[in-house]
Amino acid sequence: MNLIPDVEVHRPKSLEEALKHMEAPGAKPLAGGTDLIIDLREGACEARNLVDLTKVKELDYIREFGGRIRIGAMTHHTDLVASDLIRTKAQVLSEAANLVGSIQIRNLGTVGGNICNASPGADTATPLLALGAEATISSSGGVRVIPLGEFFAGPKRTSLNPGELLTELSFPTPPAGSGGAFQKLGRRKGCTLSLINIAAYVELDGDTCSEVRVAVGACAPTPVRITDVEEMLKGKKIDEAVIGEVSSACYGLVQPSQRAHSRASEEYRREMSCVLMRRALTTALERARGNK
Amino acid sequence: MKVSFQLNGKDIEVEAPGNRALLDLLRDDLGVKSVKKGCENGECGACTVLLDGAPVTSCLVLAPQVEGRAVTTIDGLVDDPFMVKLRQAFLEDGAIQCGFCTPGVLISSYALLKGNPKPTADEVKKAIEGNLCRCTGYVAIIKAILHASERI
Amino acid sequence: MEYDKILEDLLGRKEFLIVGKSIIRTDALDKALGRAKYTSDYIQPGTVVVKEVYSTHPHALIKRLDTSAALEIPGVLAVYTGADVPGENQIGYAMPDQPFLCDEKVHFIGDPIAIVCAEDEYAAQEARDAVVVEYDPLPANFTIDETLAKDAIHIHEGGNIALTSRIRKGDVEKGFSEAKVEVEGTYETPYQDHAYIEPDVAYAFPEGAGKVTVIGAMQSPFLVREKVAGVLGWNLNQVRVIQALTGGAFGGKDDTGPLVSAKAAMAAVKLGRPAALVYDRFEVTAYTPKRFPSRIHLRTGVDKDGMLTATKVDIKLDCGAYANRAPYWLWRQTVHATGPYEVPNVHVDGTAVYTNKVFGGSYRGFGNLAVHFAVDSHMDRLANELGMDPVELRLRNVLTVGKRTASNQLLDHSVGIEECIRGVAEASDWAEIRKPRRKGNKVRGVGIGTAHHGISTSRGAPDWSAASVILNEDGSFTYRTSICELGQGTPIGHAKIVAEIVGAKMEAFHIEIPDTDTMANARPTHGSRGLALGGTAAADAALKLREQMVNTAATLFECEKDRIDLRNSMASCKDDPSKKMAFKELAHEMYVRGANPAAYGFFTPPRRFFDPETGLGVSYPAYTFAATVCEVEVDLETGQVEILKIWPAMDVGKAIDPLLIDGQIHGAISHGIGIALMESIRLDAGEVINPNLTDYVIPSSMDTPEVAESILVEKPYRHSAFGAKGVGEPAIISIVPAISNAIYHATGVSFNTIPITAERLHAALRRGGQ
Repeated sequence: MNLIPDVEVHRPKSLEEALKHMEAPGAKPLAGGTDLIIDLREGACEARNLVDLTKVKELDYIREFGGRIRIGAMTHHTDLVASDLIRTKAQVLSEAANLVGSIQIRNLGTVGGNICNASPGADTATPLLALGAEATISSSGGVRVIPLGEFFAGPKRTSLNPGELLTELSFPTPPAGSGGAFQKLGRRKGCTLSLINIAAYVELDGDTCSEVRVAVGACAPTPVRITDVEEMLKGKKIDEAVIGEVSSACYGLVQPSQRAHSRASEEYRREMSCVLMRRALTTALERARGNK
Repeated sequence: MKVSFQLNGKDIEVEAPGNRALLDLLRDDLGVKSVKKGCENGECGACTVLLDGAPVTSCLVLAPQVEGRAVTTIDGLVDDPFMVKLRQAFLEDGAIQCGFCTPGVLISSYALLKGNPKPTADEVKKAIEGNLCRCTGYVAIIKAILHASERI
Repeated sequence: MEYDKILEDLLGRKEFLIVGKSIIRTDALDKALGRAKYTSDYIQPGTVVVKEVYSTHPHALIKRLDTSAALEIPGVLAVYTGADVPGENQIGYAMPDQPFLCDEKVHFIGDPIAIVCAEDEYAAQEARDAVVVEYDPLPANFTIDETLAKDAIHIHEGGNIALTSRIRKGDVEKGFSEAKVEVEGTYETPYQDHAYIEPDVAYAFPEGAGKVTVIGAMQSPFLVREKVAGVLGWNLNQVRVIQALTGGAFGGKDDTGPLVSAKAAMAAVKLGRPAALVYDRFEVTAYTPKRFPSRIHLRTGVDKDGMLTATKVDIKLDCGAYANRAPYWLWRQTVHATGPYEVPNVHVDGTAVYTNKVFGGSYRGFGNLAVHFAVDSHMDRLANELGMDPVELRLRNVLTVGKRTASNQLLDHSVGIEECIRGVAEASDWAEIRKPRRKGNKVRGVGIGTAHHGISTSRGAPDWSAASVILNEDGSFTYRTSICELGQGTPIGHAKIVAEIVGAKMEAFHIEIPDTDTMANARPTHGSRGLALGGTAAADAALKLREQMVNTAATLFECEKDRIDLRNSMASCKDDPSKKMAFKELAHEMYVRGANPAAYGFFTPPRRFFDPETGLGVSYPAYTFAATVCEVEVDLETGQVEILKIWPAMDVGKAIDPLLIDGQIHGAISHGIGIALMESIRLDAGEVINPNLTDYVIPSSMDTPEVAESILVEKPYRHSAFGAKGVGEPAIISIVPAISNAIYHATGVSFNTIPITAERLHAALRRGGQ
């Protein structure tokens, strides 16, 4: 372990000011710091110009507007967990946020930071993918919105251009008849990294699955949707038996790391993707049925 | 750079480079030794302090980030009624062994009871999942927090 | 004298006033206030920062060592190599195989080559990285088999075998011929990191030209003194060692204490300035000694009545780069190789081998965790083969008074394992919870583990302890021991013993932190000896002081000595209630009348006999015994194990403080769950690949099971104060087999390798468990 290298920390008070600082070469946003500061100590972060977003309060919000739930990038995991809106309308995200690190980490860490850190196993990434989230990206030049799936470019890599900041994550407000669930496997029960995590979201029309999105973490270079599973369910009558069948397809659909030093073997992750998928979909279905 | 913040209720201003972790600022520059350094990785929780009332690992906060905010360590809670009850329960129930994790555990427990004075055992376990203790196996700690909660 | 009879013989009391009652720890308030001082809290601004240059090769000759670039860095004060060591450049614990700073050859990734000294952390880090070491790499041996291969390169001059051990008792082949059922298996246990929360640290400052003081985290201040003096080439009395409050140790700091202290001291002495060496979590996890890994092959026979007939054991101990504690570890494993069961025919061979990895060292339970994992797994497999209940099989073979251990030691008293087993079986409602219970994908199982653990040094090596107590002029007491407070509270146990004997209130005591300049050597805080030996030295001191107090009181009260009662810090005459006096006055009278108000205590257990050829003899003065029942729930789909409940029992001799014992039992359960289910240092070509608490996973609060009330069996040890025996180490030993046997019961899979991670269990179930 090394000491934190010499860095310059800028403390903008507004988004506009932050975006200006982001134009400096090698600038990197400092959100909660729970990953970035570790990376600095481990020599895994080259940036020496940090833009501290702590004071950019306009990025700290959870609100429903225009049929979408909108979450500012600087929203802390704790606030996601505490939010009635998220708990009642997007339980899958609430569950996942509650399993990020420990309370200390959830108080520091932000959803924007978790997404931008782009860990393949990021706990908030899969529920947001399952909720059909989009990422709002701002720069001094303007704003662009992309599907969250396009935001991830590889392990610890994003599609952000220099000067750009992730400012918002939003998704359509889940309607009545929808339900979601999050499943995670760690190496112990408390405060644990995901060996694998899965988020599922279904919408029911009677007993037909009118919409479904499932996403898996730590089973590919980035968190990903498993569209093959979604297609097997979409528009079909859905029940526990069907779920059992489609879940077992995960085995061949996920692409876990084959590195010898992985936290879990490729085989185990493949097997667990099936188990967790079935459990996530089963709970999501139960919740959708109860969400009249 | 200059950083102004409130430490245990007192306004202070310090000169701190951007790469100074709050943990080091507290221990080395401000002499607050109750905050312990165990891993510098956000895993052990020995450096837990309250930042605007919420427990955080001070090893993962850069000094400039606390500008204008309130930092509370166990030293600032000596006479707080919640802390007094917690402390007494920790003493009576044998929740303290080597004591190195204790200030951090007490901070997390304090934050729990402040927000949820009557937690269940599972809520207690969840509240301190970020505080590793290698001596007690957590059994006495969990018991003590529940005892303190009964007395609040 | 027989110290367990102090009460009846001397105090003349039916009831203890302090011993046996739980108290609030005397150090707890400071710790709860965050005011307790650990070593790093003493370090003053302006202290020289010391960092180590570590080998990046697992096995290599040092071709060239160039410190010139490092010395150019502003703020760098010095870089010291082996050539700069003023005394002996050798710091091996049991064998002289370990250079203090490697100057010719490195033996593992993390071997220290130089120390850099600088004004600040950044300069020290830069200097550390600027020291140029050119290596001539050698082939490396990473496994037991590699290092024992005929053509394997020698890691040390004498070869790759550090030492061997053996037991030859009875005739094992005859024993196996009498067996109805035999089981055989090879059991492997991994490196376990102590994961104490306080990283290793030492702070040293020169006191004039010929003296240095070291404050540090350690378990044996006098061992640290010996090693520091050795490296400096000084006399023992030129080195003062103070053990600050230590943030967990579990055996680890017994090994690291001397290593970090000697480096800080060398820097301080050479530079004439205070110097500190503070490890970070990476160094703690990757480079400090771990629980020795071992591979134990076990063959056990049992006759039709369920009586053990023979045990044949082959122990391969993986030392890593240096022997360190390996002799003691291997001897302990050898002598305990049958578990707490009587076996008439025993054949044990032990071999400790060097490999090019981080070296092993002391860790709670010492070698007995691995041994009892193997033995108790076999007991369950044998029971299964015989169709007998595992508790019943154990009870038929368990050690009782009059039986003999693997090394043929006759146990004539203080044997409470049968009561422990019966206790946990009854408390857990064993017969009932052994019934199969499956619900969906979850299946429950229950298992039992047992333990015996010798107190003090192995093989009858001499052991002793010392203590001192002063009655101050105001009636307060100062207690001194070099037995260390590491979280376990042993010195508090000592003070309780002293308080009971001299009739003082606990509030009257102040326990000094260990300081080699102010006390005699109480020997190390290890080997489960801190209370049984250290506490008995305390009792010896207390008895001497008590005599002075009684004499003075008898003179003042004009009554017979045996009519004097001392309690609650008051002296009184039993025959005349009007004759009484507070200790404050009594102390004053003692001082003015020339009665000695201070006493040194010393204790050595009775001499033992041991024959290294046959491995037979009296190995330990006494044994602590334990049994644990564990209930688990296994998720058959994921392989995850949840520990639902633990029922612990221990024969503690005499419970000096039940709450402190509970603390040891609970902490040991957590360490045991850790190594049983999740903990393992992983290496790749000698490099630790999980050197942090993110990937070296230890139990969190959420992994805490329900723990039943501890069953404390009291079978006093005749020669220790009030009969007390050590508890911290034995507490962990039975946890691992209890868990693995519970998993065996739940799933039908008997594991011979730990940790039993979800992934491993899942794979085993796939291969054909349930």
